[in-house]
Amino acid sequence: MTENFTQSKLDRCISCGYCLPACPTYQLTGAEESSPRGRITLMRAVQEGRMEKENLLAESGFCLGCRACEPVCPAGVEYGVLLEEMREILWQGKNRPLIVRGLFLLVKSRWRVRKLGLFSHTARPRSAKSDIHLMLGCFERVLFPHVSRTVADIAPEISVSLNQGCCGALHAHNGELELGRKMAVKLGEDLPGTILTTAGGCAAHLSANIGRERVKEFSEWWMQKEVLLSKIQQSGATIRVGFQDSCHLRNGLGIFKEPRILLRQISNYVEIPNASGCCGAAGSYSLLQKKNSRRVVAQKVNDIKSLNLDYVATVNPGCTRQLATALKRSGLKTRVVHISELVALAAR
Amino acid sequence: MALLTLLYITFLAGGLIATMSRVDSQLLLTQLTSLLGPEIVKGDAVSLEAYSHDATPLFRGLAEVVVSPRTTAEVAEVVRFAGRTKTPIIARGAGSNLCAATVPLNGGIVLSMVNMNSILEISKSEMIAVVQPGVTNLHLDTEVGKEGLMFVPDPGSRSVSTVGGNVATSAGGLRGLKYGTTKNYILGLEVVLGTGEVIRTGGRLVKDVAGYDLTRLLVGSEGTLGIFTEITAALVARPHASKYGVGYFDDLTSASIAVERIMGSGILPSTLEFLDNTCIAAVEDFAHLGLDVKAGALLLFGDHGDSPFVDSIVQKMAEIASGVDGCREVTLAPDIAAAEALLYARRCSLPALARLGTLSILEDISVPRPLMAATVTGIEKIAEKYALLIGTFGHAGDGNLHPTIVLDKDDREAVQNAERAMAEIFTLALEMGGTITGEHGVGSAKLPYLEARLGTVQMSLQRSIKTVFDPHGILNPGRLGS
Repeated sequence: MTENFTQSKLDRCISCGYCLPACPTYQLTGAEESSPRGRITLMRAVQEGRMEKENLLAESGFCLGCRACEPVCPAGVEYGVLLEEMREILWQGKNRPLIVRGLFLLVKSRWRVRKLGLFSHTARPRSAKSDIHLMLGCFERVLFPHVSRTVADIAPEISVSLNQGCCGALHAHNGELELGRKMAVKLGEDLPGTILTTAGGCAAHLSANIGRERVKEFSEWWMQKEVLLSKIQQSGATIRVGFQDSCHLRNGLGIFKEPRILLRQISNYVEIPNASGCCGAAGSYSLLQKKNSRRVVAQKVNDIKSLNLDYVATVNPGCTRQLATALKRSGLKTRVVHISELVALAAR
Repeated sequence: MALLTLLYITFLAGGLIATMSRVDSQLLLTQLTSLLGPEIVKGDAVSLEAYSHDATPLFRGLAEVVVSPRTTAEVAEVVRFAGRTKTPIIARGAGSNLCAATVPLNGGIVLSMVNMNSILEISKSEMIAVVQPGVTNLHLDTEVGKEGLMFVPDPGSRSVSTVGGNVATSAGGLRGLKYGTTKNYILGLEVVLGTGEVIRTGGRLVKDVAGYDLTRLLVGSEGTLGIFTEITAALVARPHASKYGVGYFDDLTSASIAVERIMGSGILPSTLEFLDNTCIAAVEDFAHLGLDVKAGALLLFGDHGDSPFVDSIVQKMAEIASGVDGCREVTLAPDIAAAEALLYARRCSLPALARLGTLSILEDISVPRPLMAATVTGIEKIAEKYALLIGTFGHAGDGNLHPTIVLDKDDREAVQNAERAMAEIFTLALEMGGTITGEHGVGSAKLPYLEARLGTVQMSLQRSIKTVFDPHGILNPGRLGS
């Protein structure tokens, strides 16, 4: 367990403040302590013994962990890593939120994850010639089992194995860094070769731990195939589709062009204003910080409202759930789907 | 009875001391909270720590209260309260300044203006914008851009820095040579004085000579004369096209000759920026733009305006630069992406240098343009003398240099040497007929060197001016005019 922040990572920050406009929680509050620069100042105060670490509890929870501050940082601060360290330092014992403890328990081992998906109709196990394995996810296989089924349908060349657990992103983001790393490595052993995932968050975490070259996110992988698809027609018109970025896919792995190119090919694509901004799902955030999560998504719904979209495509199950719930709550007809579902429609 | 009298006297004296001197932090927080409500007043350890810095290294101080006002009335309320209790007020925008102008070194109230962030009016026909101080520079420029207009000041921090902060420091930027800086574009201000009175200086008028030009005095006053609550800014027509090129030279002297010849030919370009060899290497190592790392100096030049005209101007600049002895290569950016890459090379100079150490001290001297090369040579000698890594980049067109000292923050000797080197760089700038700060401001970082620039008579005049605006001495005390 980490007791201290990695000093060299704290030292990177030159306090220029370029991260402020990119940060959703700073945008909500205008409060320096709720900005990446402010939080790093606080981390330094703890590191230098000027402040009790418990003082950072509120901010460690308020931060979405979207890492939107990283691409705009001229000094190359790895804020995501510092946040993971902050939560590991803080979220121990009684300070670990109950919901996090519950989630950890659910996906602790491979067999528990398998049990989770016992009654959900995910892709069937099969072994194919290529060395590409489809990742089923942990909560994804419960909430959106049809996504793996869809991908398996449109890509007969990939193998599906049930012998896989959780990638550990959940753990790394919630104060169990080492366990999170180990789980990623374990998944890498269970699924040899390339791992294909439909979750941007998992893709970023896996890449950081088993190597970027072994991980492919769905839209990235599909674009490589160079399949030409035609536009999807519904009731006589090409469907209007918007896209919501996955924070970690965009800010962590730099993948944001691929899904857009793909969607332009198969639909009448409309860029949602601030599509790169976090939707407030942010992994377990929507459960841990319900109120703040809703404040963040409210702006998103506003942005989507006037666009008259048939679909919003996503590349991460958390975003799918968050947006689907929020759009439904506000009475919008726009449907929220994983990007592979639209590809399947176009390929049909 | 005697005891009672004594107690009464003690009580009176206590009350007197309380009003005469500073109030206890807790009391300050309680009173401000009851005055303004808990939503905009904070005094917890976390908030105070977060506001203990701005973008200046080595300066830190804890405030006692952070207030985020939403209206002019609230600002005036805070100032009147501070006057009654003799509490310092440090007004702050995004805290991106580089001269420690907003670090609460003497405690007191940090007044964070970022939530007063509305654009109140954009008048296309009058070419003005009326804004609250917390609007960011880039947001304003983007919004007026939709009307075909441009907000001129473009400091490197434009995506984050607030217009209020730009006015408080009279921020410059890459367009300074052609267009001037913030001071040339502020027409009117609504200001809360140190007495809590609210005045409006200037207005929407281009011509207005009624009385002393208080607007111009307030621009660059770094929060020591008043707190801006509304700003009326002049805008210019947004140029349609831009073109950029880059020239590599054996040394800065030859690059300077190119600058002199370009300007001497009657061209006034919007961009003339340079990087020394240390910066070129650091930027290339960081951003991999394919820069010539063997060059002694890089000159970035460009202009904007109408399309065919700009092309010919930039072409002419390229020809002039190529003709200078010591010019290694000149290329023009073929498209916007290439131009952006060039501008990025200049903009990322600081962070690229900062990666070479754990502490970077960025300076901001300005010298007459013909003496720029000699000044940089002087800086190189100082770097050698103190065995320091100093990279210099800056605005070749207006003689504004940013020597940046990069070191290890735990190396005490190096830190001391850096301070000595800085002092020598300031002396050098003054010897050249230059100044200790071109566009960053004085703040706390450069205050010790201000008298050398201004002389005793002007220093005393500055103090007198401050007293008139701020009789209680509560507005950013210990800085300009103190």
